[in-house]
Amino acid sequence: MMIAVGLWFMNHAMESYSIGTLRRMGPGFFPAVLGGLIAVFGVLIALPAFFREGDPLGFEGRPFLMVCLSIGVFAFVLERLGMVPAIFALVFCAAFAKPGPNLIENLGLSVFLAVAAVAVFIWGLGIPIQAFRWNI
Amino acid sequence: MEVFGDLLFGFQTAFSLQNLMYCFIGVFLGTFVGVLPGIGALATISMLLPLTFYVPPTTALIMLAGIYYGTQYGGSTASILMNLPGTPSSAVTCLDGYPMSNSGRAGVALFVTTLASFIGGSIGIVILTLFSPSLAEVALAFGPAEYFAMMLLGLVAASTLSQGSPVKGIAMVLVGLGLGMVGTDVQTGQQRYTFGIPELSDGFNLVAIAMGLFGVGEVIASVNKIRDQKADQRQKITFRSMIPTRDDWSRFWWPMLRGTGVGSFFGALPGTGTTISAFMAYAVEKKISKTPERFGKGAVEGVVSPEAANNAASQTAFIPTLTLGIPGDAVMALMLGAMIIAGVQPGPRLITEHPEIFWGLVASFWIGNVLLVILNLPLIGMWVKLLQIPYRFLFPSILMFIAIGVFSVNNNTFDIFMVLIFGVFGYFLMLLRFEPAPLLLGYILGPLMEEHLRRAMLLSRGDPSVFVTRPISAAFIFVTTALLLWAIYAAIKGKINPKIDD
Repeated sequence: MMIAVGLWFMNHAMESYSIGTLRRMGPGFFPAVLGGLIAVFGVLIALPAFFREGDPLGFEGRPFLMVCLSIGVFAFVLERLGMVPAIFALVFCAAFAKPGPNLIENLGLSVFLAVAAVAVFIWGLGIPIQAFRWNI
Repeated sequence: MEVFGDLLFGFQTAFSLQNLMYCFIGVFLGTFVGVLPGIGALATISMLLPLTFYVPPTTALIMLAGIYYGTQYGGSTASILMNLPGTPSSAVTCLDGYPMSNSGRAGVALFVTTLASFIGGSIGIVILTLFSPSLAEVALAFGPAEYFAMMLLGLVAASTLSQGSPVKGIAMVLVGLGLGMVGTDVQTGQQRYTFGIPELSDGFNLVAIAMGLFGVGEVIASVNKIRDQKADQRQKITFRSMIPTRDDWSRFWWPMLRGTGVGSFFGALPGTGTTISAFMAYAVEKKISKTPERFGKGAVEGVVSPEAANNAASQTAFIPTLTLGIPGDAVMALMLGAMIIAGVQPGPRLITEHPEIFWGLVASFWIGNVLLVILNLPLIGMWVKLLQIPYRFLFPSILMFIAIGVFSVNNNTFDIFMVLIFGVFGYFLMLLRFEPAPLLLGYILGPLMEEHLRRAMLLSRGDPSVFVTRPISAAFIFVTTALLLWAIYAAIKGKINPKIDD
C-alpha cells in the first residue's frame, strides 16, 4: 500500500513536470514558472512519502463507479430524451451505489425529483431545458 | 455618522420584496444544509451558483451569503443531537453539546448556541460595517505590485493556515493557479492548454470545478460513510426545556464575548475561516477556565464560545472579500466568482462604485440573522425531523441538482462531463488528504495575479525589485515569507494542526 501511495505521488510529480516544460514566450511565462513550482512541490511531497508508513487509501469502488456512471448517464440521456427520463436514469444508477437498492423507493424518489425539477427549473426559473424530447 | 446614512440606504435595498425573499431562501437553505450532515455550504453554494445568473447580482449575493452564515446556525443542531457535525465548523460543538444532550439538556444547548450565534454574528456585522469603508480607502492607493503581493499573501496564508499539511496546501494552490491558466490569454489572445477543444477557450467553468470538487467528490466519499442514523427521539425539545438555568446564564456572557473576539479576528484574516475560529475559541475557553475538567462533559462554555466564534467569523470573512477582493476561504472564492460572473469587479472600488451591493449585503446580514433566530428557535422541531431523511434519498437528489445546475449555465452537456472529471479528481484528492479548497482559491486568483504581475513588470520596465521597494508591497512580501518560514518550521515540528488536547 505504501508503495502504491509513493508511486502515485511520484507519478503526480512527473505529470506536473511535463506542464513545466511547456514553455512559451510572453503568455507562457507565468505558466512556465508555475509548472516548475508545481514540480518542486511534487518532489517535496513525494520524498517524505517514501520514508513514512502509508495509510490505506480507503478507495471505495462501488460508490465511485455508480456515482460517476449516474452523472454520465444523465448527460447522455438528457441530450436524447430530455430531463425527466434523465432524472430517472440518474436516480436508478445512483441507487446501486449503496448495497441493496430498493427499487420501489427509488421509483418514488424519481417521480418526486422529476416533478420538483420541472417545477423549479422549467416553470420557476425558465431555464431552457426540455422535459421530454425525442432525438436519437 | 456617514455610516448610518449608508446603512439606511442598504436597508432600502435589502427590504425590497425580491431581496427579502432571496435572503429568506438563503438562510432557510443554509440552516437546512447546516442541519444535514454530508452537504456543506460549499457544495450548496456551488450548486446554486448557476441559478444566480437569473437574478441581479445584489440579490444573488444576498442569497449566497445567507446560505453561508445560515449553515453556521444549523450546524450545531446535528452536533448536539447526534454527535455528528452538520458542518466542519460545528465539529467542536459535539465535544460538549452531545454530553449536554445525553444528560437531558439538549433544549438548553440548542437555545444557548442560537443566542450565541446571533450575538456573535451581530458583533461581526458591526465590525464589518465600521472597518470595511476605511480599509477600502487605504486599498485604493494600491498599484499592481501591491495587488500581486497581497494576493500572494492571501494564497500562502490560505494554504499554510488551513487544516492539513502546508506543503500539500501550497501544491493545491499551484494546481489551482495552473487550472486558471487554461483558456484564452487576455493580453495576446493566445489559446493556452485548450488542446483544440473549443469549449475550453473560456477556461474551465467555475461552476463545474466547484460542483465536481465539493459536490460529486463529497457524495462519493460519504455514500457509505454516513449511516442512516436516527436522531434521539427520547427527549422532546419543548420551549420549557430550552430555558437555561441561572448557572447557565452566568457561564454564558463572557465565553460568548471571548468567542466573538476570537472569531472576528480569525474570520477577517485571509485563509483561516470559521472552522479554525471555532477550534481556537474552544481552546481559549478551556485554557482560561478555572474548571477545565468540566469540558467534554457538557460545559455550557464549550458550546457557546465556538458557536459565537464561527458566526462572528462568517461575517468578518466578508471584510477582505468585499474591500480588497481577496477571498479568505473557498466559500468566499465562490462569492467572488459569482461577482465576477455578474460583471461586478470586486476590490476596493466596490463600495463606492456599487454601494447597493455592499450596503445592501450588509443590511441583509442583519435581516438574515434575525430571520435565523426566528427560524431556529420555534422551528427546532422541524429541523430535528429533518435529521431523519436517510442519506440514500439525499445523495441522488444532490447529484440531480448538480447535473441540472451545471447544464443550465451554458446549456451544454460538455459541462456535465467536466463536473464528472473534477468529481473524480476531487475524490482522489480527498483519498490522498489533499484539501480541495486552496485549489479553488488558486483558480479564482490565478488570472488576476498574472494580470497584475504583468502590469507591474510593464510599469517597472521588467525590474522585479518593485515588489520590495514599494513599502506596502514589501510588507506583504515580508509577511508572506515569514508565514512560509513558519510553515516550514511547523511542518518539521509536526504541529501545524490546531488540535484540541482532551
